[in-house]
Amino acid sequence: MLIDTLTRLLTFIALLLAQVLVFNHIHLFGCATILLYVYLVVMFPRNYPRWAILLWSFAMGLSVDVFSNTPGMAAASLTLVGFIQPYLLELFIPREAPENMRSAMATLGVTKFLLLATILVFVNCLLFFSIEAFTLFHWQQWLLNIGGSTLLTLTLLMAIEKVRK
Amino acid sequence: MKNLLAFIARYFHWLLLLMLEIISGVLLFQYNSYQSSVWFSTASAAAGKVYEWDANVRSFFSLKRANEELTLRNFYMERQLAQLRRLYGDLTQDTTSLVRQELELLNRFKLVPAKVVSNTLDKADNFITIDKGSDDGVEKDMGVACGNGVVGVVYLTSSHYAVVIPVLNVTSSRISCAIRGRGYFGYLQWYGGDPTVAYVEDVPRHARFKKGDWVETSGYSSIFPQGVLVGKIEKIFNSADGLSYRLKVRLSTDFGCLRDVYVISDHSVSEQLQLLKAVQDSITMAPKQ
Repeated sequence: MLIDTLTRLLTFIALLLAQVLVFNHIHLFGCATILLYVYLVVMFPRNYPRWAILLWSFAMGLSVDVFSNTPGMAAASLTLVGFIQPYLLELFIPREAPENMRSAMATLGVTKFLLLATILVFVNCLLFFSIEAFTLFHWQQWLLNIGGSTLLTLTLLMAIEKVRK
Repeated sequence: MKNLLAFIARYFHWLLLLMLEIISGVLLFQYNSYQSSVWFSTASAAAGKVYEWDANVRSFFSLKRANEELTLRNFYMERQLAQLRRLYGDLTQDTTSLVRQELELLNRFKLVPAKVVSNTLDKADNFITIDKGSDDGVEKDMGVACGNGVVGVVYLTSSHYAVVIPVLNVTSSRISCAIRGRGYFGYLQWYGGDPTVAYVEDVPRHARFKKGDWVETSGYSSIFPQGVLVGKIEKIFNSADGLSYRLKVRLSTDFGCLRDVYVISDHSVSEQLQLLKAVQDSITMAPKQ
Protein backbone atom coordinates (compact mmCIF):
# COMPACT_ATOMS: atom_id res chain seq x y z
CA MET A 1 0.00 0.00 0.00
CA LEU A 2 2.80 2.37 0.98
CA ILE A 3 4.96 1.13 -1.91
CA ASP A 4 2.07 1.77 -4.27
CA THR A 5 1.60 5.32 -2.99
CA LEU A 6 5.33 6.04 -3.25
CA THR A 7 5.47 4.70 -6.82
CA ARG A 8 2.48 6.83 -7.72
CA LEU A 9 4.16 9.86 -6.11
CA LEU A 10 7.29 9.27 -8.18
CA THR A 11 5.19 9.04 -11.38
CA PHE A 12 3.41 12.25 -10.30
CA ILE A 13 6.70 14.15 -9.94
CA ALA A 14 8.15 12.75 -13.16
CA LEU A 15 5.04 13.69 -15.19
CA LEU A 16 4.89 17.14 -13.55
CA LEU A 17 8.54 17.98 -14.33
CA ALA A 18 8.28 16.64 -17.89
CA GLN A 19 5.14 18.71 -18.45
CA VAL A 20 6.37 22.05 -17.10
CA LEU A 21 9.99 21.89 -18.29
CA VAL A 22 9.57 20.24 -21.70
CA PHE A 23 6.00 19.82 -22.96
CA ASN A 24 4.75 23.29 -22.07
CA HIS A 25 7.10 24.71 -24.71
CA ILE A 26 6.08 22.38 -27.55
CA HIS A 27 3.39 23.79 -29.88
CA LEU A 28 3.04 22.16 -33.29
CA PHE A 29 1.32 23.91 -36.22
CA GLY A 30 0.17 26.69 -33.88
CA CYS A 31 -2.47 24.52 -32.23
CA ALA A 32 -1.30 21.21 -30.77
CA THR A 33 0.11 21.14 -27.22
CA ILE A 34 1.01 18.03 -25.23
CA LEU A 35 -0.98 17.55 -22.02
CA LEU A 36 0.64 14.31 -20.87
CA TYR A 37 -0.31 14.62 -17.18
CA VAL A 38 -3.58 12.77 -17.97
CA TYR A 39 -1.40 9.67 -17.96
CA LEU A 40 -1.51 9.67 -14.16
CA VAL A 41 -5.31 9.32 -14.27
CA VAL A 42 -5.27 6.67 -17.03
CA MET A 43 -3.01 4.51 -14.85
CA PHE A 44 -5.31 4.15 -11.80
CA PRO A 45 -6.15 0.44 -11.19
CA ARG A 46 -9.64 -0.99 -10.77
CA ASN A 47 -11.29 -0.40 -7.39
CA TYR A 48 -8.78 2.26 -6.30
CA PRO A 49 -10.77 4.42 -3.79
CA ARG A 50 -12.72 7.10 -5.70
CA TRP A 51 -11.93 9.90 -3.26
CA ALA A 52 -8.19 9.13 -3.60
CA ILE A 53 -8.39 9.31 -7.41
CA LEU A 54 -10.09 12.72 -7.12
CA LEU A 55 -7.44 14.03 -4.73
CA TRP A 56 -4.53 12.80 -6.89
CA SER A 57 -6.08 14.37 -10.03
CA PHE A 58 -6.76 17.65 -8.27
CA ALA A 59 -3.19 17.79 -6.89
CA MET A 60 -1.70 17.08 -10.34
CA GLY A 61 -3.90 19.67 -12.03
CA LEU A 62 -3.14 22.29 -9.40
CA SER A 63 0.64 21.70 -9.59
CA VAL A 64 0.62 22.08 -13.38
CA ASP A 65 -1.44 25.28 -12.95
CA VAL A 66 1.04 26.78 -10.49
CA PHE A 67 3.86 26.33 -12.99
CA SER A 68 1.91 27.40 -16.09
CA ASN A 69 0.18 30.55 -14.81
CA THR A 70 -3.23 29.02 -15.68
CA PRO A 71 -5.04 29.20 -12.32
CA GLY A 72 -7.68 26.50 -11.86
CA MET A 73 -7.86 25.38 -15.53
CA ALA A 74 -5.92 22.12 -15.37
CA ALA A 75 -7.26 21.43 -11.84
CA ALA A 76 -10.88 21.69 -12.96
CA SER A 77 -10.49 19.59 -16.12
CA LEU A 78 -8.30 16.89 -14.59
CA THR A 79 -10.56 16.43 -11.54
CA LEU A 80 -13.51 15.74 -13.81
CA VAL A 81 -11.45 13.27 -15.85
CA GLY A 82 -10.44 11.59 -12.58
CA PHE A 83 -14.12 11.32 -11.70
CA ILE A 84 -15.12 9.49 -14.89
CA GLN A 85 -12.03 7.22 -15.08
CA PRO A 86 -13.32 4.42 -12.74
CA TYR A 87 -16.68 4.26 -14.57
CA LEU A 88 -14.94 4.02 -17.95
CA LEU A 89 -12.43 1.42 -16.76
CA GLU A 90 -15.29 -0.74 -15.48
CA LEU A 91 -16.77 -0.75 -19.01
CA PHE A 92 -13.54 -1.99 -20.60
CA ILE A 93 -12.50 -4.61 -18.01
CA PRO A 94 -13.11 -8.25 -19.08
CA ARG A 95 -15.63 -10.09 -16.92
CA GLU A 96 -13.33 -12.55 -15.12
CA ALA A 97 -10.75 -9.95 -14.12
CA PRO A 98 -9.01 -9.82 -10.69
CA GLU A 99 -10.19 -7.27 -8.14
CA ASN A 100 -7.25 -4.87 -8.33
CA MET A 101 -6.41 -5.25 -11.99
CA ARG A 102 -4.14 -2.48 -13.23
CA SER A 103 -4.97 -0.34 -16.25
CA ALA A 104 -2.30 -0.99 -18.88
CA MET A 105 -1.95 -2.11 -22.51
CA ALA A 106 -0.56 -5.47 -21.29
CA THR A 107 -3.67 -6.30 -19.25
CA LEU A 108 -6.48 -4.73 -21.31
CA GLY A 109 -5.25 -5.35 -24.82
CA VAL A 110 -4.28 -2.72 -27.39
CA THR A 111 -7.71 -1.71 -28.75
CA LYS A 112 -9.45 -1.46 -25.37
CA PHE A 113 -6.61 0.53 -23.81
CA LEU A 114 -6.45 2.77 -26.88
CA LEU A 115 -10.16 3.50 -26.60
CA LEU A 116 -9.94 4.20 -22.86
CA ALA A 117 -6.94 6.50 -23.31
CA THR A 118 -8.57 8.32 -26.27
CA ILE A 119 -11.72 9.10 -24.31
CA LEU A 120 -9.85 10.32 -21.23
CA VAL A 121 -7.35 12.43 -23.24
CA PHE A 122 -10.15 13.88 -25.38
CA VAL A 123 -12.30 14.86 -22.39
CA ASN A 124 -9.31 16.50 -20.70
CA CYS A 125 -8.33 18.49 -23.81
CA LEU A 126 -11.98 19.46 -24.44
CA LEU A 127 -12.47 20.78 -20.91
CA PHE A 128 -9.07 22.49 -20.75
CA PHE A 129 -9.44 24.41 -24.02
CA SER A 130 -13.08 25.26 -23.34
CA ILE A 131 -12.17 26.85 -20.00
CA GLU A 132 -9.25 28.61 -21.68
CA ALA A 133 -11.49 29.94 -24.48
CA PHE A 134 -13.38 32.06 -21.96
CA THR A 135 -11.00 34.67 -23.41
CA LEU A 136 -11.15 36.05 -26.97
CA PHE A 137 -10.35 32.98 -29.08
CA HIS A 138 -12.17 32.02 -32.32
CA TRP A 139 -14.11 28.77 -32.38
CA GLN A 140 -12.10 27.36 -35.31
CA GLN A 141 -8.91 27.78 -33.28
CA TRP A 142 -10.67 26.15 -30.31
CA LEU A 143 -11.58 23.04 -32.34
CA LEU A 144 -8.08 22.86 -33.85
CA ASN A 145 -6.59 23.06 -30.38
CA ILE A 146 -8.71 20.20 -29.05
CA GLY A 147 -8.17 17.96 -32.09
CA GLY A 148 -4.45 18.59 -32.46
CA SER A 149 -3.65 18.26 -28.75
CA THR A 150 -5.69 15.06 -28.39
CA LEU A 151 -3.87 13.41 -31.29
CA LEU A 152 -0.42 14.52 -30.17
CA THR A 153 -0.91 13.59 -26.50
CA LEU A 154 -2.44 10.25 -27.45
CA THR A 155 0.48 9.39 -29.77
CA LEU A 156 3.02 10.12 -27.04
CA LEU A 157 0.97 8.26 -24.42
CA MET A 158 0.68 5.10 -26.55
CA ALA A 159 4.39 5.25 -27.35
CA ILE A 160 5.27 5.37 -23.63
CA GLU A 161 2.74 2.63 -22.86
CA LYS A 162 4.36 0.32 -25.42
CA VAL A 163 7.66 0.65 -23.55
CA ARG A 164 6.07 -0.03 -20.14
CA LYS A 165 6.09 -3.78 -19.37
CA MET B 1 -29.59 11.15 10.92
CA LYS B 2 -28.25 7.68 10.24
CA ASN B 3 -29.78 7.83 6.76
CA LEU B 4 -28.07 11.15 6.11
CA LEU B 5 -24.66 9.74 7.15
CA ALA B 6 -25.27 6.64 5.04
CA PHE B 7 -26.14 8.84 2.06
CA ILE B 8 -23.00 10.93 2.52
CA ALA B 9 -20.84 7.81 2.89
CA ARG B 10 -22.27 6.28 -0.27
CA TYR B 11 -22.01 9.35 -2.48
CA PHE B 12 -18.89 10.82 -0.84
CA HIS B 13 -16.98 11.00 -4.11
CA TRP B 14 -19.74 13.14 -5.71
CA LEU B 15 -19.51 15.62 -2.85
CA LEU B 16 -15.71 15.60 -3.06
CA LEU B 17 -15.90 16.24 -6.81
CA LEU B 18 -18.24 19.18 -6.22
CA MET B 19 -15.97 20.63 -3.54
CA LEU B 20 -12.80 20.32 -5.67
CA GLU B 21 -14.53 21.82 -8.74
CA ILE B 22 -15.72 24.76 -6.63
CA ILE B 23 -12.18 25.34 -5.41
CA SER B 24 -10.90 25.28 -9.02
CA GLY B 25 -13.64 27.68 -10.06
CA VAL B 26 -12.78 30.08 -7.25
CA LEU B 27 -9.12 30.02 -8.36
CA LEU B 28 -10.15 30.61 -11.94
CA PHE B 29 -12.37 33.60 -11.36
CA GLN B 30 -10.43 35.24 -8.57
CA TYR B 31 -7.06 35.33 -10.26
CA ASN B 32 -7.10 39.09 -10.56
CA SER B 33 -7.21 39.53 -6.80
CA TYR B 34 -3.78 40.87 -5.88
CA GLN B 35 -2.58 38.98 -2.80
CA SER B 36 -3.99 35.53 -3.43
CA SER B 37 -2.73 35.39 -6.99
CA VAL B 38 0.88 36.00 -5.95
CA TRP B 39 0.68 32.73 -4.01
CA PHE B 40 -0.48 30.69 -6.95
CA SER B 41 1.34 32.34 -9.80
CA THR B 42 4.86 31.55 -10.89
CA ALA B 43 6.11 34.34 -8.63
CA SER B 44 5.88 31.81 -5.81
CA ALA B 45 9.30 30.79 -4.56
CA ALA B 46 9.23 27.08 -5.39
CA ALA B 47 8.11 27.47 -8.99
CA GLY B 48 10.51 30.36 -9.47
CA LYS B 49 13.47 28.36 -8.19
CA VAL B 50 12.81 25.38 -10.47
CA TYR B 51 12.47 27.69 -13.49
CA GLU B 52 15.65 29.52 -12.50
CA TRP B 53 17.66 26.27 -12.50
CA ASP B 54 16.14 25.28 -15.81
CA ALA B 55 16.85 28.70 -17.35
CA ASN B 56 20.46 28.57 -16.12
CA VAL B 57 21.03 25.25 -17.85
CA ARG B 58 19.37 26.45 -21.07
CA SER B 59 21.15 29.81 -21.22
CA PHE B 60 24.48 28.06 -20.89
CA PHE B 61 23.95 26.53 -24.32
CA SER B 62 23.32 29.86 -26.02
CA LEU B 63 26.21 31.77 -24.45
CA LYS B 64 28.47 31.57 -27.47
CA ARG B 65 25.95 33.13 -29.85
CA ALA B 66 24.97 35.81 -27.30
CA ASN B 67 28.64 36.70 -26.85
CA GLU B 68 29.22 37.11 -30.58
CA GLU B 69 26.14 39.27 -31.01
CA LEU B 70 27.10 41.52 -28.11
CA THR B 71 30.67 41.98 -29.30
CA LEU B 72 29.50 43.00 -32.76
CA ARG B 73 26.94 45.47 -31.42
CA ASN B 74 29.49 46.91 -28.98
CA PHE B 75 31.98 47.49 -31.76
CA TYR B 76 29.39 49.15 -34.01
CA MET B 77 28.06 51.39 -31.23
CA GLU B 78 31.51 52.49 -30.10
CA ARG B 79 32.40 53.53 -33.63
CA GLN B 80 29.13 55.43 -33.99
CA LEU B 81 29.62 57.13 -30.62
CA ALA B 82 33.13 58.25 -31.49
CA GLN B 83 31.92 59.68 -34.79
CA LEU B 84 29.00 61.53 -33.17
CA ARG B 85 31.23 62.96 -30.47
CA ARG B 86 33.61 64.28 -33.05
CA LEU B 87 30.78 65.86 -35.05
CA TYR B 88 29.24 67.47 -31.99
CA GLY B 89 32.60 68.80 -30.88
CA ASP B 90 33.18 70.30 -34.33
CA LEU B 91 29.77 71.98 -34.33
CA THR B 92 29.74 73.44 -30.85
CA GLN B 93 33.44 73.76 -30.12
CA ASP B 94 32.67 72.09 -26.78
CA THR B 95 33.76 68.47 -26.24
CA THR B 96 33.01 68.00 -22.54
CA SER B 97 29.30 69.05 -22.38
CA LEU B 98 28.13 65.90 -24.22
CA VAL B 99 29.68 63.62 -21.58
CA ARG B 100 28.04 65.68 -18.83
CA GLN B 101 24.61 65.37 -20.55
CA GLU B 102 24.99 61.60 -20.99
CA LEU B 103 25.83 61.16 -17.31
CA GLU B 104 22.86 63.33 -16.30
CA LEU B 105 20.49 61.18 -18.41
CA LEU B 106 21.82 57.96 -16.90
CA ASN B 107 21.53 59.38 -13.38
CA ARG B 108 17.83 59.91 -13.85
CA PHE B 109 17.16 56.24 -14.67
CA LYS B 110 18.33 53.37 -12.55
CA LEU B 111 18.51 50.09 -14.52
CA VAL B 112 18.07 46.77 -12.74
CA PRO B 113 19.39 43.92 -14.95
CA ALA B 114 17.41 40.69 -14.75
CA LYS B 115 17.12 37.32 -16.44
CA VAL B 116 13.93 35.82 -17.82
CA VAL B 117 13.13 32.53 -16.08
CA SER B 118 9.74 31.77 -17.63
CA ASN B 119 8.10 32.93 -20.86
CA THR B 120 5.10 31.97 -23.03
CA LEU B 121 4.20 33.00 -26.58
CA ASP B 122 1.19 30.90 -27.51
CA LYS B 123 -1.63 32.15 -25.27
CA ALA B 124 -3.87 35.19 -25.62
CA ASP B 125 -2.54 36.57 -22.35
CA ASN B 126 1.15 35.80 -22.02
CA PHE B 127 3.30 36.52 -18.95
CA ILE B 128 7.05 36.70 -18.36
CA THR B 129 8.72 35.93 -15.00
CA ILE B 130 12.06 37.56 -14.14
CA ASP B 131 14.46 36.72 -11.32
CA LYS B 132 14.48 40.13 -9.58
CA GLY B 133 11.87 41.21 -7.03
CA SER B 134 11.02 43.87 -4.45
CA ASP B 135 14.27 43.16 -2.56
CA ASP B 136 16.20 44.31 -5.66
CA GLY B 137 14.20 47.48 -6.10
CA VAL B 138 11.64 46.26 -8.64
CA GLU B 139 8.10 47.57 -8.06
CA LYS B 140 4.71 47.32 -9.78
CA ASP B 141 4.27 49.45 -12.94
CA MET B 142 7.97 49.74 -13.77
CA GLY B 143 8.91 49.41 -17.43
CA VAL B 144 10.98 46.46 -18.68
CA ALA B 145 13.12 46.58 -21.85
CA CYS B 146 15.89 44.56 -23.49
CA GLY B 147 18.79 45.38 -25.81
CA ASN B 148 16.54 45.12 -28.87
CA GLY B 149 13.53 47.07 -27.64
CA VAL B 150 10.59 47.29 -25.30
CA VAL B 151 9.43 44.17 -23.40
CA GLY B 152 6.57 45.13 -21.04
CA VAL B 153 5.43 46.42 -17.64
CA VAL B 154 5.89 44.84 -14.20
CA TYR B 155 2.55 43.55 -12.88
CA LEU B 156 3.28 41.69 -9.62
CA THR B 157 6.33 41.34 -7.40
CA SER B 158 7.32 39.03 -4.58
CA SER B 159 10.62 39.41 -2.72
CA HIS B 160 12.82 37.72 -5.32
CA TYR B 161 10.73 37.38 -8.48
CA ALA B 162 8.40 39.51 -10.56
CA VAL B 163 5.77 38.82 -13.21
CA VAL B 164 5.84 41.13 -16.26
CA ILE B 165 2.97 41.78 -18.70
CA PRO B 166 4.72 41.79 -22.09
CA VAL B 167 3.55 43.48 -25.30
CA LEU B 168 2.14 40.03 -26.27
CA ASN B 169 -0.84 40.30 -23.93
CA VAL B 170 -4.23 40.94 -25.50
CA THR B 171 -6.18 42.28 -22.51
CA SER B 172 -3.63 44.28 -20.54
CA SER B 173 -0.87 45.66 -22.74
CA ARG B 174 -1.13 49.29 -23.94
CA ILE B 175 2.16 51.10 -24.46
CA SER B 176 2.20 54.70 -25.68
CA CYS B 177 4.49 54.98 -28.70
CA ALA B 178 5.48 57.63 -31.22
CA ILE B 179 6.90 57.59 -34.75
CA ARG B 180 10.61 58.48 -34.60
CA GLY B 181 11.38 61.88 -36.02
CA ARG B 182 7.71 62.80 -36.63
CA GLY B 183 6.34 62.90 -33.11
CA TYR B 184 2.83 61.58 -33.87
CA PHE B 185 1.78 59.07 -31.22
CA GLY B 186 -0.71 56.26 -30.64
CA TYR B 187 -0.89 53.22 -28.41
CA LEU B 188 0.46 49.71 -29.10
CA GLN B 189 -1.89 46.73 -29.00
CA TRP B 190 -1.41 43.02 -29.77
CA TYR B 191 -4.28 40.85 -31.03
CA GLY B 192 -2.84 37.33 -30.75
CA GLY B 193 -1.37 35.11 -33.45
CA ASP B 194 2.05 36.19 -34.79
CA PRO B 195 4.35 37.13 -31.87
CA THR B 196 6.42 39.47 -34.06
CA VAL B 197 3.55 41.72 -35.20
CA ALA B 198 1.57 44.32 -33.21
CA TYR B 199 -0.61 47.31 -34.14
CA VAL B 200 -0.38 51.00 -33.23
CA GLU B 201 -3.89 52.41 -32.89
CA ASP B 202 -5.34 55.94 -32.96
CA VAL B 203 -2.66 57.63 -35.05
CA PRO B 204 -4.29 60.92 -36.22
CA ARG B 205 -5.23 61.22 -39.89
CA HIS B 206 -3.27 64.42 -40.42
CA ALA B 207 -0.03 62.63 -39.41
CA ARG B 208 2.69 62.39 -42.07
CA PHE B 209 4.89 59.28 -42.08
CA LYS B 210 5.77 56.38 -44.39
CA LYS B 211 6.28 52.61 -44.38
CA GLY B 212 9.66 51.66 -42.92
CA ASP B 213 9.69 54.42 -40.28
CA TRP B 214 10.81 53.33 -36.82
CA VAL B 215 8.38 53.41 -33.88
CA GLU B 216 9.69 54.08 -30.36
CA THR B 217 8.16 54.86 -26.93
CA SER B 218 6.83 58.41 -26.70
CA GLY B 219 7.89 59.27 -23.16
CA TYR B 220 4.33 60.43 -22.39
CA SER B 221 3.95 57.89 -19.59
CA SER B 222 5.98 57.53 -16.41
CA ILE B 223 6.75 53.92 -17.31
CA PHE B 224 9.17 54.23 -20.25
CA PRO B 225 11.59 57.04 -21.09
CA GLN B 226 11.39 58.45 -24.58
CA GLY B 227 13.25 56.58 -27.29
CA VAL B 228 13.02 52.90 -26.33
CA LEU B 229 12.66 51.04 -29.64
CA VAL B 230 9.37 49.26 -30.43
CA GLY B 231 9.55 48.24 -34.09
CA LYS B 232 9.26 49.17 -37.78
CA ILE B 233 6.09 50.17 -39.65
CA GLU B 234 5.20 47.46 -42.15
CA LYS B 235 1.72 48.36 -43.39
CA ILE B 236 -0.81 51.15 -42.89
CA PHE B 237 -4.55 50.50 -42.45
CA ASN B 238 -7.57 52.63 -41.67
CA SER B 239 -9.06 52.17 -38.22
CA ALA B 240 -12.47 50.48 -37.85
CA ASP B 241 -14.34 53.79 -37.62
CA GLY B 242 -12.23 55.49 -40.31
CA LEU B 243 -11.26 58.36 -38.01
CA SER B 244 -7.59 57.43 -37.54
CA TYR B 245 -4.80 55.23 -38.87
CA ARG B 246 -3.83 51.78 -37.68
CA LEU B 247 -0.19 50.79 -38.25
CA LYS B 248 1.04 47.21 -38.54
CA VAL B 249 4.41 47.16 -36.76
CA ARG B 250 7.07 44.44 -36.93
CA LEU B 251 8.36 44.26 -33.33
CA SER B 252 12.12 44.67 -32.87
CA THR B 253 12.19 42.54 -29.69
CA ASP B 254 12.47 38.79 -30.29
CA PHE B 255 10.16 37.41 -27.58
CA GLY B 256 11.03 33.86 -28.59
CA CYS B 257 14.61 33.99 -27.26
CA LEU B 258 14.38 36.60 -24.50
CA ARG B 259 17.04 36.09 -21.85
CA ASP B 260 18.61 39.36 -20.60
CA VAL B 261 16.29 42.27 -19.78
CA TYR B 262 16.48 45.33 -17.57
CA VAL B 263 13.89 47.05 -15.38
CA ILE B 264 13.74 50.86 -15.63
CA SER B 265 13.16 52.66 -12.35
CA ASP B 266 12.76 56.40 -12.60
CA HIS B 267 13.47 58.44 -9.47
CA SER B 268 11.82 61.57 -10.81
CA VAL B 269 8.41 59.93 -11.29
CA SER B 270 7.50 59.96 -7.58
CA GLU B 271 8.58 63.58 -7.38
CA GLN B 272 6.36 64.42 -10.38
CA LEU B 273 3.40 62.62 -8.85
CA GLN B 274 3.88 64.38 -5.48
CA LEU B 275 4.04 67.76 -7.19
CA LEU B 276 0.86 67.03 -9.15
CA LYS B 277 -0.97 65.96 -6.00
CA ALA B 278 0.16 69.10 -4.16
CA VAL B 279 -1.19 71.27 -6.97
CA GLN B 280 -4.53 69.44 -6.98
CA ASP B 281 -4.82 69.73 -3.19
CA SER B 282 -4.04 73.44 -3.22
CA ILE B 283 -6.64 74.10 -5.93
CA THR B 284 -9.44 72.27 -4.06
CA MET B 285 -8.56 73.87 -0.73
CA ALA B 286 -8.11 77.45 -1.98
CA PRO B 287 -10.83 79.85 -0.67
CA LYS B 288 -13.54 80.57 -3.24
CA GLN B 289 -13.46 84.11 -4.66
